[in-house]
Amino acid sequence: MTDYLHLAWKNLWRNRRRTVITLAAIALSIMLVQALHNLSNGVYAGMVDSGVRAGSGHIAVYQKGYLESRDETLYFEDRNLVDQIAALDGVEQVLPRLYVPALAQSSRESRGVLLVGVDPGRERLINPFLKTLPEDGMVRSSDSRDAVVGSRLLEELQIKLGQKFVVTAQNLDGTLHSELLRVRGVVSTGMKDIDGSLIMVGRERAGMLSGSTGSVHEVAVILSEPGYSEAVLRRIVRLLGDHPGTEAVKWERAMPNLANAIKLDYASQKFIFLIILLIVTIGVVNTLLMSVMERMREFGVILALGSQARTLRAMILLEALVLGLLAAAIGTLLGSLATWYLVAVGIDLATFVPETLEFGGVVFDPIMRASWNPGWMARIAGYVVGLTLLAALYPAVKAGRITPVEGMRHH
Amino acid sequence: MPLIELKNVSKIYRLGSQSVTALSELSLLFEAGEFAVLAGPSGSGKTTALNLIGCLDRPTSGQVIVSGMNLGTASSRQLADFRLQHIGFIFQSYNLIPVLTAAENAEFTLMLQKVPKKSRRERVRRLFAELGIDGLEERRPADLSGGQQQRVAIARAMAGNPQVILADEPTANLDSHTAEELLELMRRLNREQGTTFVFSSHDDRVISQARRVIRLEDGCLSDDTGADR
Repeated sequence: MTDYLHLAWKNLWRNRRRTVITLAAIALSIMLVQALHNLSNGVYAGMVDSGVRAGSGHIAVYQKGYLESRDETLYFEDRNLVDQIAALDGVEQVLPRLYVPALAQSSRESRGVLLVGVDPGRERLINPFLKTLPEDGMVRSSDSRDAVVGSRLLEELQIKLGQKFVVTAQNLDGTLHSELLRVRGVVSTGMKDIDGSLIMVGRERAGMLSGSTGSVHEVAVILSEPGYSEAVLRRIVRLLGDHPGTEAVKWERAMPNLANAIKLDYASQKFIFLIILLIVTIGVVNTLLMSVMERMREFGVILALGSQARTLRAMILLEALVLGLLAAAIGTLLGSLATWYLVAVGIDLATFVPETLEFGGVVFDPIMRASWNPGWMARIAGYVVGLTLLAALYPAVKAGRITPVEGMRHH
Repeated sequence: MPLIELKNVSKIYRLGSQSVTALSELSLLFEAGEFAVLAGPSGSGKTTALNLIGCLDRPTSGQVIVSGMNLGTASSRQLADFRLQHIGFIFQSYNLIPVLTAAENAEFTLMLQKVPKKSRRERVRRLFAELGIDGLEERRPADLSGGQQQRVAIARAMAGNPQVILADEPTANLDSHTAEELLELMRRLNREQGTTFVFSSHDDRVISQARRVIRLEDGCLSDDTGADR
């Protein structure tokens, strides 16, 4: 085998310029596909991270039916569930939330809003919407009258930071209940819907307003690593045995807009990858076929000396394998360098896209950064080696079909 | 039993709607250890006869039997294996593999025979010394003269210890002095090692060196001056 490898290596460099060009084409396409994929991977991961922290978490617990209907009567009693989930391995934070549709009124304007009751300490640590809030801008306790208000809503209500306003919601028994709140902080997420309707208060205060104290609509579970989701989900499902009528779902089901937007974007990327690899394969077929056609006389001699046709075919396939492996190694090295740059520095699109570009329900970070995915990089390199072998099949079969006399007649 | 036997062998090539008879009803016997030349002008059927003896082609009719094996009934795989084990080839234009060194070229048939590298190197080293090209082992064919390249080709043909070496116009591309040297070398190998040589030529100076001269004309045997020459 080493003899044939040695021969394949020498044959590969028979036409140095052609081999270098082919190697460069394959290696650059591998680099391009790996780097683009890792960039998308990083961007998607950033969007998912931002999405789950502001939204449903990696895993969310709901009363069955709430996810589909958003019916505020479908809440459930917390009864220590939050603390039980928080104690599980792999869980970074648990965010219980109570959603109350309400009417916000100032002395000048009124607007329909979605009041979110949260555990302020937990939410502050995780929710990216609250990042820009000043130190003293968050709701101070669960039962306080503090409110964090969306910037657009604040403008529409024509009130300012520190001023009071009233929210009115329908209680469980059907009666209207009003609470006086004070603007403690203002958030500007860049998403029109959120900025125009968000009022965040303590969970107890929200419970008092809706008459469902101690209840939640959503328990968003943030994991320390997204890869733990299967294991943690299984453990949460076991805990839900004590909470009949509830269900635990992954973020893909809880936030289908984001999941579908990523799926669609990735599908179009895969199509581009396929076209890149197809073009490269055609180039490799051309190179290998040229290399075989100009050596027909030599193949005739090799067959005359006593080589079996299958040995000749194997020699050509081995040449393609060496070419593919070499290109895969160089391409992966270049792909790694490109990924390293994209992880460390990234691509700043701030001058090309608006600062608050929304994608799949989350704000798109204009600085795109890649994330490493070595398994996928290896898989792409493997595919390319396979494609190179596939490209060599026709030239190999063609060479294996000639007779020694036919081969030696070639000039 | 003769080493090579051609019984009423004909070879007809079809070129579109036309047929060209390259050999017609040729019958020949070669004993082991012969040093014979197939002589004749261009187109007389010398190369066709060598190709048939060397299992590179199949006759249209008749039988070719080499070392007891009827080549007409053998499969392509069997023929390839037979060539590898029993026949050595020397070509007019040397046909060395350009990317391999002289030693690697000479080792090529041994590599196909799966002979271990160390034994191959030793065998080729001895052959190069015998053929007077020792010291050229690491040179590429492009860096060798025509005579040196043909000696490497002889080493390649000899390396596998074949029963018969077939040489198609082996001196046609060489100057007369080198051609003379090469013929003497083949004669010595034939004499000392008993290897059967059958070669083709249209050069009278070369033909005169052979112990047996088989003249072909238009694919037919015109003269066969015997082994006692």
